[in-house]
Amino acid sequence: MDDLRIVERSVDTQGFKITARGVQVYYGEKHALKDVDCDILDKTVTAFIGPSGCGKSTFLRCLNRMNDTVSIARVQGEIRLDGEDIYDKRVDPVQLRAKVGMVFQKPNPFPKSIYDNVAYGPKIHGLTRSKSELDGIVEASLKKAALWNEVKDRLGEPGTGLSGGQQQRLCIARAVATHPEVLLMDEPCSALDPIATAQVEELIDELRSNFSVVIVTHSMQQAARVSQKTAFFHLGNLVEYGETGQIFTNPKDPRTESYISGRIG
Amino acid sequence: MSVFLLIVVLLVLGIAGYVLGRGRALSSVGGNPRKLHSLPGYYGWHGAILAILPALVALTMWVIAQPLIIERQLADFFPAEQIENDSQRVLLLTDVRRVAQGLDTAVAAGALTEEQAAMIRTEFGSVRDRLATVGVALGSEVTPQVLQAAQRYRELAATGGLWRMIVTLAIALGGLAWAVRTTNGDLRARNRVEVVILGLLILASTIAILTTIGIVLSMLSETIRFSTMYPFADFLFGLTWQPTFQGNSELGLIPLLWGTLYISLVSMIVAVPIGLFTAIYLAEYATPRVRSIVKPLIEVIAGIPTVVFGLFALVTVGPFLRDWFAAPTGLGTSGSSVMTAGIVIGILNIPFISSLADDIINAVPQSLRDGSYGLGATKSETIRQVVLPAALPGIVGAILLAASRAIGETMIVTMGAGAAAKLDLNPFEAMTTITVKIVSQLTGDTEFNSPETLVAFALGMTLFVITLGLNIFALWVVRKYREQYE
Ligand SMILES: Nc1ncnc2c1ncn2[C@@H]1O[C@H](COP(=O)(O)OP(=O)(O)OP(=O)(O)O)[C@@H](O)[C@H]1O
Ligand SMILES: [Mg+2]
Repeated sequence: MDDLRIVERSVDTQGFKITARGVQVYYGEKHALKDVDCDILDKTVTAFIGPSGCGKSTFLRCLNRMNDTVSIARVQGEIRLDGEDIYDKRVDPVQLRAKVGMVFQKPNPFPKSIYDNVAYGPKIHGLTRSKSELDGIVEASLKKAALWNEVKDRLGEPGTGLSGGQQQRLCIARAVATHPEVLLMDEPCSALDPIATAQVEELIDELRSNFSVVIVTHSMQQAARVSQKTAFFHLGNLVEYGETGQIFTNPKDPRTESYISGRIG
Repeated sequence: MSVFLLIVVLLVLGIAGYVLGRGRALSSVGGNPRKLHSLPGYYGWHGAILAILPALVALTMWVIAQPLIIERQLADFFPAEQIENDSQRVLLLTDVRRVAQGLDTAVAAGALTEEQAAMIRTEFGSVRDRLATVGVALGSEVTPQVLQAAQRYRELAATGGLWRMIVTLAIALGGLAWAVRTTNGDLRARNRVEVVILGLLILASTIAILTTIGIVLSMLSETIRFSTMYPFADFLFGLTWQPTFQGNSELGLIPLLWGTLYISLVSMIVAVPIGLFTAIYLAEYATPRVRSIVKPLIEVIAGIPTVVFGLFALVTVGPFLRDWFAAPTGLGTSGSSVMTAGIVIGILNIPFISSLADDIINAVPQSLRDGSYGLGATKSETIRQVVLPAALPGIVGAILLAASRAIGETMIVTMGAGAAAKLDLNPFEAMTTITVKIVSQLTGDTEFNSPETLVAFALGMTLFVITLGLNIFALWVVRKYREQYE
């Protein structure tokens, strides 16, 4: 049994994009994330589920060091991206975030035109050489986010004038446009109708061929539909992490079982 | 009853209205506030408002109308030729009022009885002397007409005061009774109270507008008078400013306008970058500790009176600029210069801009910054491309506010730039501004009947138009570049 495990590991390490060991997060005195170990595979969709306030967003924000912007947050432990410790002093969080993109829980389009919102990332990273190339990226990103048809005639209008769901898709397009290696999505579909949700899920599946995607969701069905791996968080602990099918059909921990069957949450 | 006392009584009635209205509403539903249409407090306010507001309106109108009516009646005491001219009439009425007040004082001091005050006649001795014994000094002997008018004035004022009290109290009690009678659980007290509050808000906002209109109109009428005495085109386009008080002065606006704009420009060149950079540092980079020390320190500058800044310009900045820049380069020999005043006004405006801009930058939601960082933007990229554009309308507003302060600044210009109206490009030359000249034209002999004094109003009007234009421009900029968040 023990031997089997070792073999399995050495195979999997090839595909590990992010490895987290003993991650602790404190907001001031509050211990929000307790000793989390988690390996995120390359070219895989990983879903984080768990009741509200259990630390899903917090862990997600550790993965691209967005917690640096919260002055009271303290992160301990080790998180490696492609084997490199991202909390190392030599790592520039700016470059890290260019590789690990993020879609936030609340849509936050910039007070700029729709076009400029999507073009923002490519522009600051100098991804394009010509205007037409940039136009191409903007169009492709908006199409991926299932927003193109709705906004193609008004790219010059402010992104803040869109509806909540459209804003969320704009933020997805914005994140996709920078071509990140890992895309962190914090409840990207919470403001979307079923059709747009299906389109975003399709996008996530598509992205999987090149990137790894981490998605926080409150919808079990969505987690089951889009993800290959699922992590269940509860009260700051990573309770269970495994194959999505196994988590949903055969959870090992009683807490996972009761959450999935709707008894805690 | 004096007006003050009446208002106190009204307030007491208002409190009674509050208590009665609230109590009445509660008792009408058996003490169960859930059955009321509005919260109990609203019924109280409803009662208080009905007791106070109509009575207060009536009182205000009475206080305004009574003197007008009395004065009209007093006109009968004087022959028509004595009061046909406006200023004569005002003088006479002032006399009457003074004598009436004198009689009041005398009665209060016990020197005259109420009857004696009503009966006293000039024929029986000098009223002036009688009043002087109780400390009321009159400039000249009282004529019989004035005395009679004053006595009539006192009579009318006394009856007026009595009726004023009766009417006010009747209306207040009526309002109170009506409020108590109509109050029950179904009365929409909240809606009514809110209508009154809305009215108050509208009133407050119109006061500012009406004052502005009043100011403009008063300046406009004097400006028009000025234009009848001095060709307006010469004022607007004249290149020389040379007022003499013997007439034939040249009152050209251009040198003053030039000085004003030049000095303001220099001050903005100093204040805008420094103020803005300070704000960006404070809002985005400084730790809370540094911020809590630096921000108040900067704001101390805003509290220094401008005359102190003027001294600084006069004794420090002026000589420094002269000895280190103007004299070595051969550009000028005077300490007073556009540069001196401009730089000092700029320093004065730094905290203004930095403090406002800091608040505005802080108001940009953190989620926008997060969005930008999340895409791999650096801090400076985020500030330049997300935070500042989002804060732009507010920052433009702050800058224009500072610009109007610079344009209106007087003291520092007087002490730092001198009083010579000149058209010159050299920033080390002494120049002067519109505001300084308004002051100097009005100090001393202030009979508003020569173009030399009336020009002050035309200058004021010009200043008003400039700042108005600046504000309209600001509005336009803000509309055009508005980037809404939330
Ligand atoms: N900026 C912050 N300051 C202080 N406490 C915070 C902050 N952000 C999160 N927390 C705390 O950390 C805990 C975890 O929060 P987190 O946002 O990670 O929850 P979540 O799992 O994403 O919940 P939800 O599903 O509601 O989004 C919560 O108890 C929350 O109160
Ligand atoms: Mg969350």
